[in-house]
Amino acid sequence: MNTLAWWLISAQFHSRRTATWLSMLAIALGVALGYAIHLINQAALADFARAMHRVQGEPDAVLAARDSAGSVPLAIVNQLAADPTVALVAPVIETRVRVAESLPAVRLIGVDLFSAGGLMPKLLPRPAEGATIADWLTGGVYVSPTVLARSDLRVGAPITLRRGDRLWTTRIAGDLPAMANEDLLLVADIAWVQEHFGPSDAVSEARILLEPDSAPAEWRRHTAQRLPAGLLLREADDDSARVSNLSRAYRVNLNVLALVALLTSAFLVFATQLTAVAQRSTHFAVLGVIGLSPRRRLLQILLEGLAIGFPGALLGLLMGYALAVAFTQLLGGDLGGGFFSGGVPLIRPTLTATLAFCFLGALTSVAGAIYPAYLNRRQPLAQALKIGFSPTPTGEAAHDHRRLKRLAALSLSAVALSHAPPLFELPLAGYAAIAVLLLIGIDAAPLLTHRLFSAGASLPLPATQRIALQNVAQAPLMAQVAASGLIVSFALTASMVIMVSSFRVAVDHWLDEVLPAPIYLRSKGTPLPPEVLSALRQADAPFVKVEGTAHGTLTLDPRRPDVGLIVREIDRQHPAQRLPLTGRLATPPDDRLPVVWISEALQEIYGIHPGQLLRLPLLGRDVELFVGGVWRDYSRQFGALVISRDDYQRLGGEFQANDLALWPRAGQEASAMTWLTAHTDRHGLRVSTVGEIRDLSLAIFDKSFAVTYALEAAAMLIGLFGLAVTLATSVWLRSREWATLGALGFDRRMLSRAVMLEGALIAVIGLLIGLACGVAIGAVLTHVVNPQAFHWRMPLIVPWSRLLVGAVLTLAAALLASRHAARQATRLPLAQILASGQ
Amino acid sequence: MRRRRFLTAAPLLLPAWLARRAVADTPLAYPPVTPGYRIVLPGDHGAHPAFRIEWWYVTGALNAPRADVGFQLTFFRYRPGYAEQLRTPLAARQILFAHAALTWPGDRLQHSERSARANLGAHVSTSDCDVSIGSWRLWRESRESSEPHQAHHSPQRHGNSEYFRLRMQSQPFAFDFILKPTQAPMLQGEQGYSRKGAAPHQASYYLSWPQLQVTGTLIRHRQAQTVEGRAWFDHEWSTAMLADNAVGWDWLGINLDDGGALMAFRLRDSQGETVFADAAWRDASGRQQPFPAHQIRFTPLGHWRSPRSGAVYPVQLEIRLGDLILRTQPVLDDQELNTRRPTPVVYWEGLVHLVGSLRGRGYLELTGYTQRVPL
Repeated sequence: MNTLAWWLISAQFHSRRTATWLSMLAIALGVALGYAIHLINQAALADFARAMHRVQGEPDAVLAARDSAGSVPLAIVNQLAADPTVALVAPVIETRVRVAESLPAVRLIGVDLFSAGGLMPKLLPRPAEGATIADWLTGGVYVSPTVLARSDLRVGAPITLRRGDRLWTTRIAGDLPAMANEDLLLVADIAWVQEHFGPSDAVSEARILLEPDSAPAEWRRHTAQRLPAGLLLREADDDSARVSNLSRAYRVNLNVLALVALLTSAFLVFATQLTAVAQRSTHFAVLGVIGLSPRRRLLQILLEGLAIGFPGALLGLLMGYALAVAFTQLLGGDLGGGFFSGGVPLIRPTLTATLAFCFLGALTSVAGAIYPAYLNRRQPLAQALKIGFSPTPTGEAAHDHRRLKRLAALSLSAVALSHAPPLFELPLAGYAAIAVLLLIGIDAAPLLTHRLFSAGASLPLPATQRIALQNVAQAPLMAQVAASGLIVSFALTASMVIMVSSFRVAVDHWLDEVLPAPIYLRSKGTPLPPEVLSALRQADAPFVKVEGTAHGTLTLDPRRPDVGLIVREIDRQHPAQRLPLTGRLATPPDDRLPVVWISEALQEIYGIHPGQLLRLPLLGRDVELFVGGVWRDYSRQFGALVISRDDYQRLGGEFQANDLALWPRAGQEASAMTWLTAHTDRHGLRVSTVGEIRDLSLAIFDKSFAVTYALEAAAMLIGLFGLAVTLATSVWLRSREWATLGALGFDRRMLSRAVMLEGALIAVIGLLIGLACGVAIGAVLTHVVNPQAFHWRMPLIVPWSRLLVGAVLTLAAALLASRHAARQATRLPLAQILASGQ
Repeated sequence: MRRRRFLTAAPLLLPAWLARRAVADTPLAYPPVTPGYRIVLPGDHGAHPAFRIEWWYVTGALNAPRADVGFQLTFFRYRPGYAEQLRTPLAARQILFAHAALTWPGDRLQHSERSARANLGAHVSTSDCDVSIGSWRLWRESRESSEPHQAHHSPQRHGNSEYFRLRMQSQPFAFDFILKPTQAPMLQGEQGYSRKGAAPHQASYYLSWPQLQVTGTLIRHRQAQTVEGRAWFDHEWSTAMLADNAVGWDWLGINLDDGGALMAFRLRDSQGETVFADAAWRDASGRQQPFPAHQIRFTPLGHWRSPRSGAVYPVQLEIRLGDLILRTQPVLDDQELNTRRPTPVVYWEGLVHLVGSLRGRGYLELTGYTQRVPL
């Protein structure tokens, strides 16, 4: 029997080479996309974790301030060092400095040579090159290779480090070969960094290694109780968790898209195998008569599905690996999400993931073969021997009312799923709702086909058209098969187009609100030089108004990414003038109570609401704040809060602006720009007009969705393959019909037109249903998936014109695909078919 | 003479070119060591941060939990002369490091080391013995008002209720000892001014405190054991000590079985010839006898070759001090140390029995057998 199975498979592959290859390729494509996305993300995550370990080592605990403006007092570091459970305390002072025009602000890490060796050896210079202790302790700076490569700085040459008005001129004592390409950093002795950039009597962070026999969790719990409120003792693992959480929603989203591509390939396998069953119904009937059991007939088709899926999956793994390598080489490890910057991460496949994707590919193919296999089992042998394949065996007619009930139930469940809360902070129910919507579309296809074209077939039309209409109306199963791939792929594409354009419009409006000034001055991460600030305060400065913003971060939960802390020159009474508020404003019960306005993400992640009193670890202590309102923020996915400069200063904070918004005097816009550039040029600061920032933001937005376009294109391609394969089969199945028509006087052109029209009608149905599903899925993406996964809320906007253009293009492509089938019809040896007819 | 360990444990800080460079960059004047300084305790137990180097060095031999267990713990202070102009509290003006070892007959020598700048996770007092790096610490405690007294070498039994505490922990071993004086401290050289070479500035201030009664706890293989034994404490500070032609030294400090104490060292040149030598013997009655260099002779009797470094150490030495003929017998041949942080330096330091005219136990140190000690 195994020989027979093998013989059947190879015969099938020979006789239907194109369809089999296309199915295999489709599976491969789905697997490749999913696998490549997985590999790239995995590599980027691992790369990020490695970079973190290079710089941080693997301590048992990390002590840092919760507030990015805070620090760890030296007294506490010394107290911890004397703890008998502590083996090593490695303090670090970290800040950002500018060293060259060609570079953004780079990290400057001040480490203690004596403790760093035990924990962060890669931050130290090479010991082989002679003792560099003198260089180190006399203030030499060590630079990562990337800094050298991207600037004209050289080892042995002087270097000037700038932060705000602080300057430190020293020399480059060596490089840090253990640092990888993407690390842009400088390392120097902690005392010299402290001397020039502060903080005095404190450090940024203390990394702690415990004695081998100690219980780290218990020690951390016990020690944390004795620490002041502003300090956080966290596990080093928290940082990995935080990195992983940073991009989790984005990764899951991409993987779901890749799964949809795989799903559409299942439809192609379905079409191919259904055709295979139909074409060989006579063979199977003969085999059945001579003893092949129905169960074996079922298994044979499933086995053929596996024979397509397994090599397809293997091919997909290879393609995915190649794709991942090529992608990272060309574009780095960032899939457009902006979570991982720069660098070429190393692609390292793991066995588990590889096997999982291989299995998934094979499984998809087998799943696609299930219904054809079922049909093959149920074929009535005698009938099949006489007249061939019967698409609805044993009188299994489609009962419209049962179908309607099923559709109603599916619709209800889709509605319910789209209203469900997130699971594990992921919109899993939302994704399920999308799957259900696709099912509804596929299930509705025969119903619609039947209703629409039965009515159409009764119209007084020319013969070619009438025949096409009747064919489609009377063979709803074939129409469903042909249309389902198109429905799924077009629904996916349409929904992505809808979601992206809704998002883009929302971002566009949002940019208008958050960028009220015509000119912006930004210094990423470093405070603005006081000379620039004082020049702006002079009477001759060509500006009517200047407003500053200081950006910091706050650790609310060590396992989550930090929250943005934004101190702004903003009117406490009228925050709406500067913030895109989304709800009502709450009035603080007490004028002295500091007010913060939280972003939507902060509200959703931490469950904070307007009007509430909030305790936050601000400025090294627990501070009580009033939540005055919620604003929309598309740039900080993990939450941000805004506090007015006046409140911040009243709490004892020091306001050091990183960004300025500037309003030039009327009519002096151009000269204001020149004036400002003259003052900021030598500080390496960037002056941008509001237009430039808008363009840049939208360009970043577009780039971040580039990958999704690739996935859509793949899905559309697979959908069109499916249409071509099914139409070709349907032509073959009805060869006697065509032969009869030919004998009745249909010429080749008429035959070809009938087939193409049939294809077009099916495509129209597919596109219509696909569009309807696409709009529904787009709504789910916009209103459920985006808010739950990324905390982005936006109104739904359907770009009808673009969808229409897409639909017309797809229809054209579908006509092209039907031509392939039509050509087959015209090549049929009509006379022979008629002659051999039973 | 603790320069030996000093160099070995902190080689990275001491390469000659570094010292030259530091001098060139910031002409820092370290005070010279001169004769005539009066050592006053407990103040001089504390650090002398103006000098270039200083160490507090404790070695000992235990009787319980078993005989011939040796331990040593040394704290070094080093003033590199860098960062003197910085105002920040973290400036590395003073660097501390510590080195501990445990000799257990039948087992390999275990050792562990630590280092820190004196103001970050470490501390050193200038008014009394109290030096620490993390949880490693050596300090003096006294139950009575600690009135300054001049150190002397009188034969009387030491009557104060003062004692030292010595505490360290590492993965292979840890200990927490009380070191109780049974005798007065011993000033080496001329009232603590100890010459190390022909030039008068090649010297150190050097105070030894032999025959300290050891009690406390030793943790080995995670098992705590009560201990009892005898220790030797050295405190030495200096600016310049090593003659140009010396490559290393042989040193020993022995608690004699009869209650006496013996210290002897010689500096060797590259041919193994003695460049400078000094020794002092305090007998059980408290009489201290110095030996001039010409009365001191070190002769290797038996060697041990390290399978790791290939170095050949004269672990069995014959030492002639005038009429006294003494021989060392190591408890373990393999008491070679390989300090790794940050560059490897290899030397031999371990517990030996002294036999011959005088009998006792103590520590022998042999340096400069793999390469010149870079001081």
